[in-house]
Amino acid sequence: MASSAATRTAAGAAKVVKPIFSRDLDEAKRRVRELYRAWYREVPNTLALFQLDIGHRQAKDKVREMFDKNKHITDPRVIDMLVIKGKMELEETIKVWKQKTHIMRYFHETENQRPADFLSRFYQGHDP
Amino acid sequence: MLRFPAVGRALAGLAPSHSARVQSRAASNMVEVFVDGKPVEVEPGTTVLQACEKVGMQIPRFCYHERLSVAGNCRMCLVEIEKVPKPVAACAMPVMKGWNILTNSEKTRKAREGVMEFLLANHPLDCPICDQGGECDLQDQSMQFGSDRSRFSESKRAVEDKNIGPLIKTIMTRCIQCTRCVRFASEIAGVEDLGTTGRGNNLQIGTYVEKMFMSELSGNVIDICPVGALTSKPYAFTARPWETRKTESIDVLDAVGSNIVVSTRGGEVMRVMPRLNEDVNEEWISDKTRFAYDGLKRQRLTQPMVKDASGQLTATSWEDALTRVAGALQGAQGSEVAAIVGGMVDAESLVALKDLLNRLNSDSLCTEELFPMDGAGTDLRSNYLLNTRIAGIEDCDVLLLVGTNPRYEAPLFNARIRKSWLHNELHVGLVGRQVDLSYTYDHLGEETSVLQELASGTHPFWEVLSTAKRPVVVVGSSALQRPDGGAILAAVSALAQKARSSSGVEEGWKVLNVLHRVASQVAALDLGYKAGVEAIRSNPPKVLYLLGADAGCITRADLPKDSLIIYQGHHGDVGAPMADIVLPGAAYTEKNATYVNTEGRSQQTRVAVTAPGAAREDWQVIRAVSELAGVMLPYDTVDEVRSRLAQVSPNLTRYDDVEGANYFKQANELAAAVNQTLLATPLIPPQLTAKDFYMTDSISRSSQTMAKCVKAITEGAAAVDEPSIC
Amino acid sequence: MLSLSRAVVSGVTRAPAAISQSGVTVISRFNSTAQSTPKKTTFGPLADEDRIFTNLYGRHDWRLKGALKRGDWYKTKEILLKGVDWILNEVKVSGLRGRGGAGFPTGMKWSFMNKPSDGRPKYLVVNADEGEPGTCKDREILRHDPHKLVEGCLVAGKAMGARAAYIYIRGEFYNESSNLQVAINEAYAAGLIGRNACGSGYDFDVFVMRGAGAYICGEETALIESLEGKQGKPRLKPPFPADVGVFGCPTTVANVETVAVAPTICRRGGSWFLGFGRERNSGTKLFNISGHVNTPCTVEEEMSIPLKELIERHAGGVRGGWDNLLAVIPGGSSTPLIPKKVCEEVLMDFDGLLQAQTGLGTAAIIVMDKSTDIIRAIARLIEFYKHESCGQCTPCREGVDWMNDMMWRFVRGDAKAAEIDMIWEISKQIEGHTICALGDGAAWPVQGLIRHFRPVMETRIAEFKQTKQATA
Repeated sequence: MASSAATRTAAGAAKVVKPIFSRDLDEAKRRVRELYRAWYREVPNTLALFQLDIGHRQAKDKVREMFDKNKHITDPRVIDMLVIKGKMELEETIKVWKQKTHIMRYFHETENQRPADFLSRFYQGHDP
Repeated sequence: MLRFPAVGRALAGLAPSHSARVQSRAASNMVEVFVDGKPVEVEPGTTVLQACEKVGMQIPRFCYHERLSVAGNCRMCLVEIEKVPKPVAACAMPVMKGWNILTNSEKTRKAREGVMEFLLANHPLDCPICDQGGECDLQDQSMQFGSDRSRFSESKRAVEDKNIGPLIKTIMTRCIQCTRCVRFASEIAGVEDLGTTGRGNNLQIGTYVEKMFMSELSGNVIDICPVGALTSKPYAFTARPWETRKTESIDVLDAVGSNIVVSTRGGEVMRVMPRLNEDVNEEWISDKTRFAYDGLKRQRLTQPMVKDASGQLTATSWEDALTRVAGALQGAQGSEVAAIVGGMVDAESLVALKDLLNRLNSDSLCTEELFPMDGAGTDLRSNYLLNTRIAGIEDCDVLLLVGTNPRYEAPLFNARIRKSWLHNELHVGLVGRQVDLSYTYDHLGEETSVLQELASGTHPFWEVLSTAKRPVVVVGSSALQRPDGGAILAAVSALAQKARSSSGVEEGWKVLNVLHRVASQVAALDLGYKAGVEAIRSNPPKVLYLLGADAGCITRADLPKDSLIIYQGHHGDVGAPMADIVLPGAAYTEKNATYVNTEGRSQQTRVAVTAPGAAREDWQVIRAVSELAGVMLPYDTVDEVRSRLAQVSPNLTRYDDVEGANYFKQANELAAAVNQTLLATPLIPPQLTAKDFYMTDSISRSSQTMAKCVKAITEGAAAVDEPSIC
Repeated sequence: MLSLSRAVVSGVTRAPAAISQSGVTVISRFNSTAQSTPKKTTFGPLADEDRIFTNLYGRHDWRLKGALKRGDWYKTKEILLKGVDWILNEVKVSGLRGRGGAGFPTGMKWSFMNKPSDGRPKYLVVNADEGEPGTCKDREILRHDPHKLVEGCLVAGKAMGARAAYIYIRGEFYNESSNLQVAINEAYAAGLIGRNACGSGYDFDVFVMRGAGAYICGEETALIESLEGKQGKPRLKPPFPADVGVFGCPTTVANVETVAVAPTICRRGGSWFLGFGRERNSGTKLFNISGHVNTPCTVEEEMSIPLKELIERHAGGVRGGWDNLLAVIPGGSSTPLIPKKVCEEVLMDFDGLLQAQTGLGTAAIIVMDKSTDIIRAIARLIEFYKHESCGQCTPCREGVDWMNDMMWRFVRGDAKAAEIDMIWEISKQIEGHTICALGDGAAWPVQGLIRHFRPVMETRIAEFKQTKQATA
């Protein structure tokens, strides 16, 4: 009994880990919103800077889509981490460390999925 | 000291029993010498160079080659010995007790630099246009041991190039007269075509009168030439060694299974070079192995094809072709489907095809190559293997060849026989057509009756065979493909058994051997294929599946009119034109596949380039067919195929290992039941002269280089001479 | 005392160029030791009764009858019957050293053959491939005293237990080989050789083999190769011919003169032979004197005779007087030359010439007076070596050709002064790095030239430069 209690406390101790930035989910969400706003405001600038043939609406939808992709995450530390990455991307975009192709990679709709079953792989190429 | 590298292998912990024995015996009287002060124990008679190599010190050399006799003429290996006034040639000088070899002393370095300066004095500095560039011993060693500037201001020597055939390009000005090629020709290849003429600074390597270097192993001089004097003609100016990708693979153009390295660049095979394997090919390969690669780029099947209404084969998609094949297979009853496999098919596709036909309730699976099925037939593995193994020839003392010409059927096996003949005084006898084997032998006659005389002990050669300590009998696969093949195998088996009992050799020694000519045969027999197409001819199927079958042993005329022929393979050679549906497969450089050589040694080829066009690896084609035909084979990856292979015959996936077979007595007993009589027709192997060697299979038949060789032999080297660019 | 001085001198020989050019000091040191030798201080002239080759000039009958008259084949049977050990001992006592150039003690060399037999026959090979420029001693023996050689073969063969002797004779020596063959036929007919030679119960055959005109075939292993019918290219040693020689059997290769003096040594005793010359350089020797002398000749003389006396007494002196002498090549073309000031004092024997940084070689003295273009003379010799190099090993094949090209430039003076040091270095890169001694023999003349005539070469270069500037 004692040992299992010890493990439980150990697990409890593991749960109370040092947060990255945010103490709770609300604070994390606030950081996400801040990042989202920053991206949202940066969209017209980016389109002009990189001379993208993309409408404002489409670009803003893409920003929203990227954020929505992670909306199921509830761990504040994971959210913080994603926010940090998002900020880095944003900085690279603002300071034009990226090139046009890097921006366009957010829109990779032309990429094909690799087939999974033997026969389709066989038809497709040499090295399925 | 015949198999010197055996020592190296013993050190690597792979020692076969006999070299281990040598080691332990020699341990008693070892000599201690010092290399740069480091003590090392060596056998008496070891050369300075070998002693240095034992402590990992490489001595520079040009003329020394460990498989050739010592010439000692390049003088690059001069080293100083403490308290010896003159530097000694390390390659030739046996060590003496207590010598301290100084491999990096001032005197040694001076001597090397001096020799290097002399070598470079008359050597053209045309490295940028030299094919040897990047893999040139002279280039490498001059960087390491040479001076950084030249003092030579005289005019350089120029030497006329020689035309020694369509394979080897000579730029004799680059020659440094190391005589490695001369020694290779006379010792390994057994042809005295090369030699030196003139003397002093006018010394030249050549053939004296203009003629071809007539050897089936001639290409190896390209590898042993330390400079760019002998280079490959087909490879000339096509690629540089540093821009090619090297893939270690296996040769399938004969049944020896030589280990090769395939050099590729940009999806194209640029050249084929040998890879060291002491048990198979040492470090040599035959000319066919080396130069037939251009056949991989011609006559290839790149698209699935079906015969249209007018009887023309037209390209189509895989879906279409496979659907048609599957439909045909589904529409036929089990016994109406049959398959024939050719000589270059890998074990993976063999097992896949077998599984496919078995699922269709058919068991008509045949190989093109015939093997007598009477008596034990292919049921006992020892009946169809080269049981003694290739390296085992070096241990035997009397060899009887029956109905074979190993020089052209298996050039490297022949080189092994010659090596043993040269160093171990191997006594060779031959039953069959008298041919030039590059060594002397007793010709016992070409009649089959000789076999009976030998077995009854009335033939004079029986005296030799019966007194042998380790006799070996090798029968060629072609001799067994005669109508009386079963009787010949029975006679040879009886003879081998008799020779064994009279020699009193230990149980592990194997006397009976079969020398195959095609790469797929052993694997096919291991997997339970029937040898020969007789069953198909007597019972013609509705659907015939040809897997790489290009020997033309069955034709349209043998089959009913409405039968469907499917051909799967890599070359449009003999099989494809008569097919209704053609499925393009991969050649041996394009697939990761298993081959078993005539000894029963399984080895892997690896993908060097991708198959051209829409061609696919063969087992995958069969797997795709099976899915469409509704009898899906349960493997998707090559590893899964191999585990299936291991289920059927575990030896097939034990790579680089030979699974022994030892049921000679039982086989001999069963052979006694064969009720065939020997025919009187003489034993004549199909390849008699060099002309018959070059074009034997679909790849070499498509090779222009091989065609040039045949032309050069019949019409002279000048007939195929092309104006040289350089 | 003598051995000590040798140690000093050999140290000098091995020293680099700068020191070894001071030949004078070496000579003076040598003189002091020679004078302190207690035994014998003057050598030569040889008395007529001590001559071994009594028909050197062909004034008498060279056939068997004449040879018997001169004492050949006298009591040969008794010599043979005294046994191997006695013969070897006499040869050892005599202090005979090989007359082919290297000067290896003959008794020791022959005794190497007396190992227990392993079933292979043993052979004596006589090197009559006399091709060294300046040397012409063996041909005199071959054409005028062939029976001395045939008898020598029998005695030497007996001493080493040989089954047969092969005489490898230079291809150009047509008359000599025919004389020799006649002599052998006579000896066979008289029962002197062949089965039960001289009635001693010993079977011995002698064969003559004619060469095809290659200087390199005078090298013992190349000679063996040539004898076996292969290209005459030197073999690697070890194995030495005493282990694996002609046809894979133990073999001793000996010079014609060495073999031919053996019967006389046995008849007159080794101590008689030892009485001539200095210690370690005993015996009589055939000297060939050619070049700028009044009467060039081949003459048998005592070893250690002073060079000056030899030239003055037998060759009628240098053309235009002794003061007209420029240099002498004392031992055949492969030995380094010595200038006049060394010639004054030097004694003609192995050790004396070694001290003078040259060698006795075959004792073929080439005299050059002051009319000689010494650079051209050496260049011509190098051209000979270039032509005769077998081409087997790199330093000789490439190096001698290179030296030849350079030497002819030196003849014109079309070179830089720094290239004198360069050719010295090249010759050092050849010397001692080759399979056989031909490389050494080609390197030494150049080294001798630079050692003693460097100023001449430098002057030539300066002159060439001047004339070139003048024309330009």
